[in-house]
Amino acid sequence: MKKKTTILAALAVILTLSAASGSAWAYFTTYAQARGSYPIELGDRTTVEEDFSAWTKHVSIKSEPDSEPVYIRVRAFCGAAYQLVYSDASGKWSPDSDGYYYYSDVVKGGEATDVLDIKIENVPEDIKDPASFNVVVIYETTPVLYREDGTPYADWSAKVDAKTVEGSV
Amino acid sequence: MKKIKQFLTSPAATVAAFVLAVALLLFSSIGGARAALAYYSENYSTRVQMYDIGVTLEENGKSVSWRNYDTNSSDGSWNESAGALLTQMLPKGEQLQIGRKYKEELRVKNTGTINQYVRVSIYKYWTNAPKGENQNETESSAKRIDLSPNLIKLHLANTGNKWLVDESASTTERTVLYYSKLLKSGDTTPIFADSFSIDGMVATKVTQTTETKDGYTTVTTSYDYDGAQFCIEAKVDAVQEHNAEDAVWSAWGKRVTVDNGTLSLD
Repeated sequence: MKKKTTILAALAVILTLSAASGSAWAYFTTYAQARGSYPIELGDRTTVEEDFSAWTKHVSIKSEPDSEPVYIRVRAFCGAAYQLVYSDASGKWSPDSDGYYYYSDVVKGGEATDVLDIKIENVPEDIKDPASFNVVVIYETTPVLYREDGTPYADWSAKVDAKTVEGSV
Repeated sequence: MKKIKQFLTSPAATVAAFVLAVALLLFSSIGGARAALAYYSENYSTRVQMYDIGVTLEENGKSVSWRNYDTNSSDGSWNESAGALLTQMLPKGEQLQIGRKYKEELRVKNTGTINQYVRVSIYKYWTNAPKGENQNETESSAKRIDLSPNLIKLHLANTGNKWLVDESASTTERTVLYYSKLLKSGDTTPIFADSFSIDGMVATKVTQTTETKDGYTTVTTSYDYDGAQFCIEAKVDAVQEHNAEDAVWSAWGKRVTVDNGTLSLD
């Protein structure tokens, strides 16, 4: 009986204390949150347009709409017996020691470069058919990158980190 | 005397005492309801101090999101607004420039009437960009766990003495910062971030798919980050100044020490 009495007394004490416990455990708290997002668009599709006249190739590179802005460089190859002379009216193409001609402006989607003329010199007079010549024009693009202050630049030495996937046909 | 002593030690007396204790407990809770104003003066005046907690997240000096308790409202409701970050980042018609540093100054203001301690949780992650015209919509879409949050460069500021980085709670996707000082009512913290940029590495991550058909092999290269969108999320938590150590432990589950208005992580 004494044990029961003790239990009842303890229960009464716990009930009394529990009446005050609710307020002791409540704290003032609040929060605020915000989210922001922005899409990234990468990738470009470009095509080369060539005209030929007077032993000169007139080359322009065109970027398709929705392409990301790119920098472009061009180089041409031909047989060792002939010489290629580059020129342009706009002054935006300039050579570098690697043999490429670099276009100075950023080419945005839907835009095209100014024409770069590549003249084939030392052509023998008895050759009348331009098709017998094989002058190959190659061009490369690289995405425009920006410095922290927003100045655009090209990183031609950047290497891609590629994953290879086998496709199915 | 002997009879009284015998009664007090009897089980019946114990039960009676317990019933009385319960009755007293019940009546104590309704005591307030029975209290009536017996006297009042015509020239009665009073001054009441409300204890409202409130906090606001500011981006580049403008309030973007807040949640303030409003005791003046009839139902004691919260005055709250959940805004969006980065909405003023670019002039209309301009595209995001990879690598460029954009201003993103974030800080916290105490918009309540009581002093408080605050912490900030910052999340950076990638999702698929919404299709169509609503490219700025902020509805959550599936996270791209194959893309690295490290390429979203949110530059933190004032870390060290003012904002404490909780390394134990931080991951590549989440950074947790505690403001080490008591933030008084109406005051603003120093900024905890000042700028962000997208790392130029996003333009080097590609996947090349090789397909062979009729003896010809075609290699198609696609950018891994093309069509993804980066997300930055900031959540501010605030807790009362009074009994702050226990309040922080109860509300945030973090053990801290508060000494003379300065908070440190345990």
